[in-house]
Amino acid sequence: MTVADSPLARRNPTVKFGLLVVVSLALLFVFEPLTPAVLYVVALLAVAAGSGIRPRLLLLGHLPFVGVAVGLLLVNALSRPGIEIARLGLLRVTEEGVEVGAALGLRTLVIGVLALGFVASTDGVRLMTSLHQHARLGLRFTYAVLAGYRTLEELPREWQLIRHAHAVRARPGARGGPLGGVRAFARAGFALLVVSLRRGERLAMALESRGLGLAPRTIWRPVALTGTDAVFAAASLVVLAAVFALTLPR
Amino acid sequence: MALVSMRQVAVAFPRRRAGVLNGITLDIAPHERVLVIGGSGSGKSTLLQLVSGVIPHSVTAEVEGTVTVAGVDTGATSVVELSRIVAVLAQDPASGICLPTVEEEIALPMENRGVDPAVIPARIDAALEAAGVTRLRTRRTTQLSGGEGQRVALAAALAAEPALLLLDEPTSMLDSAGVSAVRDAIAASVARYSPAVILVEHRLDEFAGRAGLAALPERTIVLGADGTLAADGPTGEVLAEHARALTASGCWLPIGNELDAVFGGVGGLDSPVVRAGLLALGRPSPRGEPEGAPGPTEAPRPARSPTLLAATHLAVSRTRTARRTRAPHTPVLSGVDLDLRAGQVVALLGANGSGKSTLLLTLAGLLPATAGTVVGERPGMVFQNPEHQFVAHTVSGEVGYGLPPGSDALVARLLDDHGLGHLADQSPHRLSGGEKRRVSLAAMLAHGRGTLLADEPTFGLDRRATIGVIGALRGAAREGAAVMFSSHDLRTVATLADRAVVVAHGRVVANGPVFHVLRDESVLAEAHLALPPLIRWLLENVDSDAGVLRVLRALDSEVAVPAAAS
Repeated sequence: MTVADSPLARRNPTVKFGLLVVVSLALLFVFEPLTPAVLYVVALLAVAAGSGIRPRLLLLGHLPFVGVAVGLLLVNALSRPGIEIARLGLLRVTEEGVEVGAALGLRTLVIGVLALGFVASTDGVRLMTSLHQHARLGLRFTYAVLAGYRTLEELPREWQLIRHAHAVRARPGARGGPLGGVRAFARAGFALLVVSLRRGERLAMALESRGLGLAPRTIWRPVALTGTDAVFAAASLVVLAAVFALTLPR
Repeated sequence: MALVSMRQVAVAFPRRRAGVLNGITLDIAPHERVLVIGGSGSGKSTLLQLVSGVIPHSVTAEVEGTVTVAGVDTGATSVVELSRIVAVLAQDPASGICLPTVEEEIALPMENRGVDPAVIPARIDAALEAAGVTRLRTRRTTQLSGGEGQRVALAAALAAEPALLLLDEPTSMLDSAGVSAVRDAIAASVARYSPAVILVEHRLDEFAGRAGLAALPERTIVLGADGTLAADGPTGEVLAEHARALTASGCWLPIGNELDAVFGGVGGLDSPVVRAGLLALGRPSPRGEPEGAPGPTEAPRPARSPTLLAATHLAVSRTRTARRTRAPHTPVLSGVDLDLRAGQVVALLGANGSGKSTLLLTLAGLLPATAGTVVGERPGMVFQNPEHQFVAHTVSGEVGYGLPPGSDALVARLLDDHGLGHLADQSPHRLSGGEKRRVSLAAMLAHGRGTLLADEPTFGLDRRATIGVIGALRGAAREGAAVMFSSHDLRTVATLADRAVVVAHGRVVANGPVFHVLRDESVLAEAHLALPPLIRWLLENVDSDAGVLRVLRALDSEVAVPAAAS
């Protein structure tokens, strides 16, 4: 996945990541729906306008978050004690339940849409370089994450291969097919673990042989941290504070 | 002053019987290029790991003597610190590349060594150009083929301008197109950066290519089976002097050296002595056929023996593995008609990505056919990487897996047949490449399935192990199995197969007796198959196909094969 140029893509990854964390933390203390609803609209507009994400992808990306949000809403609406506003057979729908459920669901959507914007506008290597530069994250950690990510990308293919390879080993079942079941699954899992560990070991050796950990080191394309990033961060925080101030009940 | 210096070096691994290296003393000068050869397990890789510091820092071993690189004791200096001097190109391109894009990958070693960022872009370009992959600069590393990945890894290794480049069987995991591309990239890059080079390689016939000796480093070190220095000198002399022993120990020599050694000639296929010798080997011996199996063309069997697996109008695709492709139903291959018959070995040929593996998986019943049918008992299959198939914790458990109780005698016989008896209690994951392959074959043969499929069964193996695989598959066919294997090694194909099926451009372009197919220039060109010089010469000069086969088998018998199934 390559990251297209956009206003958000030009912002410092650590700053973006920090803002995402701040919003998530702030919403931890909100249990009424208006604040996250307004935040969601603001975030959606900002991401749609600023991240260059394709509308279709933005929509599809919502699916898992909408699923979780609906789940949260239903569970809370139907299980929270409080003033009854409707009855569905044996189930009571309570006012408190709907309110808290909507708040939690909308919180999921806010974090979801911001995460989509973050992922769509942030290159993995830039993020790791920036976290190293600006958040003092260790090199061994950041490059291990990048190398590990490569291994991760290969995992589905590797898993399919191992399942095939093991299917041939199994005794043919009654209908001529391979034996399946939990044990076969566990065996394939073990094989995947062995193969992945070996690959990880080799990657670690490759990183060492390329001199990761030598000092002093240079950074070919350092990630910029500019005045614009400061303005961006400040503006985002002001918007966040304003939404909280205007929507939270006093 | 020597760049690399070893004094009385001995290496032993815990829980292994004998030392891997013994009493090694050698010096390598700056800019010198050295080839290290020896049979399987002679300590070639160990020698490289000593120089890079992986031994003793990352791999535990008992090391005696001293190893210094540029005056630095490798035992007392970390791998990372040594990387200022030493760069490594490993065997497997997939595990040598760490970052998501090519240019970042090549920049990393320079960043680590503190190269001024201003000069990095120009040095990335220079390294890519030397390796012949300028066009890949902004590519994602996951999209690279094996040959491309290896060239990118080479560029990354040299961009930081190390004094010493270690090449650990750099082409052994590639198809023939990849081998020649990487070989040329190494030659051009080494000429551009002129580091000292230590090359470990057993596939010298492929690595040297048409240039023969000229493509190899000028100095050669031979490691003996006991881990001692068996020879050290100019490559031409060493190979000439030790060719017989090296062939016997399983090395793949440049074809000229192999033939000179067998026939006592000079000049390989150009030598009259060699030519006369080859022709003599090709004539039937007065005592009749010594081999148990008759040659392919004199065998009337194909017509008579029963079909064990039949594919009709078969179309195959990787639907289950590549869910994200936009057109999941576009088959990789279609209109495939083939019969696998008892007692016959069929080779499946084609360039990388032509659908060989997908066809085998579909024949094995592991992928659904997109169209057409496969009729027959479910075949057994051995995969390219034996590790993917291991399910047990010991070799004997592996071979006995899924057998009914009371099969101990069968397991014991199979272990002996495949030269695995002494390894019965070892973990299959700890074996050498050739041993792993023998385990996977024995485990599949244990079930006595009618049809046996093998995906690149000789890939990355030394010659001795390859001959072992040829013997095992030939043996299975002799006992009545139908065998199909894919391969890019046409010498193995010519030695092992009765018939050949060639796939290219989404269809079968040839299906017939193996020598008939190998003589068809248009088919070879269409499938991007290049005949090795020996096979080409034999097909042109030996009057019968059976004669060609006799020559190839006689040449293989020069290799000392330990207890194998043949």
